[in-house]
Amino acid sequence: MSGPERSGGDAVGLLTDELRALLGTRKVYTAPEPLGAAAGRYFGMAVGDDNPLYSDAEFARAQGLPGVTAPPTLICETNQYANLPMDRDGYAGHSWHLNVPGTRQVRGGNSYTFHRRVRPDDVITATWEIHDLTEKQTRTGVDMLVVSSRATYTNQDGELLAVNEETIILVSLDGAA
Amino acid sequence: MTVQLPPLHVGDELPALERTITLTDMVAYAGATWDWYRLHFDPEFVAAAQVPGPVVDGQVLGALFVELLQDALGPRCFVHELSFTFRNLMFAGETVRCAGTVVAVAADRVRVDLSATILASAYGPQRPAAHPAHATVLLGTADGPGAR
Repeated sequence: MSGPERSGGDAVGLLTDELRALLGTRKVYTAPEPLGAAAGRYFGMAVGDDNPLYSDAEFARAQGLPGVTAPPTLICETNQYANLPMDRDGYAGHSWHLNVPGTRQVRGGNSYTFHRRVRPDDVITATWEIHDLTEKQTRTGVDMLVVSSRATYTNQDGELLAVNEETIILVSLDGAA
Repeated sequence: MTVQLPPLHVGDELPALERTITLTDMVAYAGATWDWYRLHFDPEFVAAAQVPGPVVDGQVLGALFVELLQDALGPRCFVHELSFTFRNLMFAGETVRCAGTVVAVAADRVRVDLSATILASAYGPQRPAAHPAHATVLLGTADGPGAR
């Protein structure tokens, strides 16, 4: 999910006790089945990346891989294995439900570390954890709360596949442009 | 098949990647990621959110950065680290230009500074989509350090 989420109401101290209680919270999602070769091939097509590593097993083996692999960032899109119901906004994935009145929510960024190529037979588990909550101000003096979370992706054998450090920023609407 | 890369040097610019991301592309991405958040395709929801158009999922930029790196460095490379900070929203129909410059070279890896720039469109002037952005790519191997 990306982009703004606006919730009405008066701005309050952004780092509430309710939010502070999220620090260290973990959510674990395990796919009900292996990722599958089609998922990687489809993702490649969707982003316009025709690299044969995602579709041609013979080519992939010639590069030293066991077979086709998924585009690296697909693993960080966890909805496929979160297995959660779709909400009224159409979203069906992991969320911390950071509903803070008087703020809008924007993505800060991502930092990925990939440890190995994901294979069609990998059954992926994503373990999310909030590891930092920091109140800051924008350069224009608007209050914001930076929420840092980490997703660790492993497979059915406990092998580390990737780590995704993500920041979400809650920006106060009080004084924001 | 082995691709012999020319030697890399600090300051080398990798071939840039330009991609226009249409609403159809965004629907395809939504399907590929099981992410049907309406901000990415639903005009009614977009209007209610008071944004100028359907918003491109920011994670697409990560996929484009990977494409740029792998196309430039060949199939026997492995994107080990990739980070990027979002700067501006990108909207359906806009074109993004991804670029990379080599900033460090070692025997087994290269570090690349990346940028993603949204070209001027009906939505506004040229603006950064992601900056700063960086990658560390392992060379001579198609798989990462965790491969068995």
